[in-house]
Amino acid sequence: MDKTVQHALRVGAKFAEVKGEDTVTRNIEAVNKEIRTVSEIRNVGIGVRVFYGKGNGFSFSNILDEEHVFRAVETAMKIAKASTKKTLIKLNLAAVKAVQEKKSTKVSKHPRDVSLNEKKDLCLRQCETAMEIGKRIANTTSVFGEYHGTIYYANSEGTKVSYEPLLIGLRISCVAKKGKAIVDARDSHGGSLGLTTFEEEAHTPEKMAENAAKWALEKLTAKPAPAGKFNALIDSKLAGVLAHESFGHLSEADFVMIGGSPLTGKIGQKLGTEIITIIDEGLPEKGGYNVYFDDEGVPCNRVEVLKKGVLTHYLHSRITAKALKMEPTGNARSQDYSFEPIVRMRNTYFDAGDWKPEEALSELKEGIYAANTAGGQVQATGTFLFKAIRGYWIEKGEPKYPLRDVALTGNILELLKNVDAVCNDLKISSTPFGGCGKMDQRAFVGTGGPHLRVKEVLFGGAR
Amino acid sequence: MEELLEVGNKAAEHAQKLGVDEAEIFFYMQDHASVKFVGGIFASRGGAVKGIKGAFMRLAEPWIKKKGLPIITSGIKAGVGIRAVIKKAIGFSSVSSIEEKRVLEAVEEAVKIAKIRPPDPNWVSLPEPRKPTGQGGIFDKRISDLDVEKMLDLCVDCCVTAGDVDKRITQAMAMISAASVSFGIVNTKGVEVCDRGTFFTAYVYTKAKSGDEEVSSGDFIMSRTFAEDLQPMALNASQKTIECFGRKSLPEKHVGPVVFENVSWNQLFSRVFTSGVSALNVQENRSVYKGRIGKQVAKENVSMIDDGALSDGFGTTKIDDEGVPRQKTPIIEKGILHNFLYDNYAAKREKHESTGNASRQTFFGAAAYANQPTIKPSNLILMPNKGDLEKLVSEIEEGILVKGGLLGASHSNVVTGDFSVTADNAFKIEHGAVVYPLKPCTVAGNFYEALNSIISIGNDLKTNLNVMCPSVTIEKIVVST
Repeated sequence: MDKTVQHALRVGAKFAEVKGEDTVTRNIEAVNKEIRTVSEIRNVGIGVRVFYGKGNGFSFSNILDEEHVFRAVETAMKIAKASTKKTLIKLNLAAVKAVQEKKSTKVSKHPRDVSLNEKKDLCLRQCETAMEIGKRIANTTSVFGEYHGTIYYANSEGTKVSYEPLLIGLRISCVAKKGKAIVDARDSHGGSLGLTTFEEEAHTPEKMAENAAKWALEKLTAKPAPAGKFNALIDSKLAGVLAHESFGHLSEADFVMIGGSPLTGKIGQKLGTEIITIIDEGLPEKGGYNVYFDDEGVPCNRVEVLKKGVLTHYLHSRITAKALKMEPTGNARSQDYSFEPIVRMRNTYFDAGDWKPEEALSELKEGIYAANTAGGQVQATGTFLFKAIRGYWIEKGEPKYPLRDVALTGNILELLKNVDAVCNDLKISSTPFGGCGKMDQRAFVGTGGPHLRVKEVLFGGAR
Repeated sequence: MEELLEVGNKAAEHAQKLGVDEAEIFFYMQDHASVKFVGGIFASRGGAVKGIKGAFMRLAEPWIKKKGLPIITSGIKAGVGIRAVIKKAIGFSSVSSIEEKRVLEAVEEAVKIAKIRPPDPNWVSLPEPRKPTGQGGIFDKRISDLDVEKMLDLCVDCCVTAGDVDKRITQAMAMISAASVSFGIVNTKGVEVCDRGTFFTAYVYTKAKSGDEEVSSGDFIMSRTFAEDLQPMALNASQKTIECFGRKSLPEKHVGPVVFENVSWNQLFSRVFTSGVSALNVQENRSVYKGRIGKQVAKENVSMIDDGALSDGFGTTKIDDEGVPRQKTPIIEKGILHNFLYDNYAAKREKHESTGNASRQTFFGAAAYANQPTIKPSNLILMPNKGDLEKLVSEIEEGILVKGGLLGASHSNVVTGDFSVTADNAFKIEHGAVVYPLKPCTVAGNFYEALNSIISIGNDLKTNLNVMCPSVTIEKIVVST
């Protein structure tokens, strides 16, 4: 790594940084009662970014001899030189203190030390439990995933850090069938945890399987969701997607810097009700995915993006922090060695409030309870769409009947003004399945929040 | 390429020495460059940008027009994925390297997994060698020779063209990527095949502002050969954006005919249908098509094929990612379901032939070598009929036209076919003509029901990755603003 940095300086870079990686991803998938796949992916390689003139360039190699690595350095320089001619804003890096440190998450039953047999049994236990719940359960798929290894970073300013990332997850999906009707439901749990987490009562494979099977069966009788505006209570998982997709992405300073985010120029403005605080941080206490340093070697700070309804921070890389004259927050991340770091979230969540979820529900009177999610999307204008995979129609403060997949849509800036209750049951979760996609890169993130109650949400339904 | 085959053969031998029944080595090398250019040039028209006011207020000056924010990546990625089989237990391991030492280590890892995991009773064997019939290998030297500087110039030109369309355009973004891919498969049953190809994609996105109203849209090209002239795409992106000004809400919820532009329908089609016709999903009760072969599943005007040998198809290759020759497979003919798509695993499970639809590509995330084969279309085509988008609109007395990208299409329920998406570029149709654009609206329905109520199919085929489809009109969809 040091040699690579030296070579970059030798060929004319004014700044150079290198990310090295040696990580392993393992996945086990069981379908019904059979193990379908067991796989291991080892990712080894090196990525180089150089700054030259007004521009910068990035390249990578997974062939790690000197010839190929040096060639990557030279490609990066070539790109930097081409960019420099077309760059309007001089891209510079905000100053940071050089750091030398090594970090790792200590857990009991690290996946690296647990046998394949034991992990495989987690999946089989889920499938067995789910299939016993009813003969209408037509398919159960259980997946266990783990990701760990070492990530190294060094730059020409003397920063040299490394950390051992860790992420595990277990997920079950059930399909239920009755005549022509076919529905599905799922449950999952994960984070920077040891496998002891699946021994906790709320997260045993059996408990999750029961949930998914029960929810799937319940959906067989579900009615299509109505379309229109309703008051809603949303659960922790959906709140997490809301925090991440809606606010998180718009607060990413690379969008802000080019005027592409509706949050541009709104620091200090009140955007939501006073009870809302949205946090993005590397090492949350309540679960999630631990990120110690970002891929510019900057320690991952805790950032209060929205504090009591007021926009207080953007999420920064060193480049965006410099351009907007703010402090770097440790949000520059790359999918792996073969991608350039861009502004990404870490663990994004609504902070807890003081409502009890039961009270929030009973005072909702009539509307929709939307839970769990298959994901969501947001556009640069703030238009969002979130899909809840479980929903209930609420009457007199109580769930009346289940709904088929419900989609929530609207503009985030309006929605934040309509949050009228934040509950006290904050949860943050993260799994190695999927993750967040941006500019063709994927990143593991954590998302979460407590139950939230929102007035006048637009639901898209087929009724 | 020969080097790769050699490493592949060595790896296969190594696996046999370690006592496997069967082994397969998939190798893959991708030389890829991607250039994105964000023309911040017009930002000042929309007002001051706090914090960078100084820099941006000057930007409308013509001399500075050709500058913005370039984001460029280029590099070579290579690796192998290994399947080792011992008594029906399959171990998979991959490594991001083609160095012999690491490849052999990965072989050992795959063997280790195969030795300790339980068998898969549905496993039969790896594919046998079959002679490819298609030509495959669409390789355009103009793409493989393209350098980042030229690509950046093309992006800048697109942004300038797009920005010049209308004063209200506040931002233009262009992205071009060029890739040359070589891949091959060696297995212990005698398969030893490889192919190569080039891929070119270009995308332009524009945003415009007038008063408080902000609108955006875009256009793209996906091709196996170099597209010389990107100007029409850039112009189209801006025109699609501008036509959204003056958006209104619907007076009431619309339940009735909706015309979907080819790109919009493509998103639902590729997300839902590709999952429904996967033989594996059918076998495992995750498809509504189970037991429906030979039955009417769509209106008589609907025919679909998957054609991996299509000349110039974006997904055309000589062989699939297990080394099975690509072929043409009829899926639906005149509304009758004929075939599902198979890879080797699903095919042998029910004594069927693989249709050459094994794929290791994923849109996001890991490189091809890090994935095991799954069933995906090669070039899935909804057969075109007559008329362009305008013609489809002209047939509608009262309805909605949905254009552009759909927010949330990828979150459609692939099992049930239920979708609920947000359309940012939608329009009201009255008496056969577009009357006004709509505020972002939700568009909800069921994909499989929609196939049974297609009123019209256009002739304007558009490719998006492995799916090609024209614009369509569906009889009954729920739209609300």
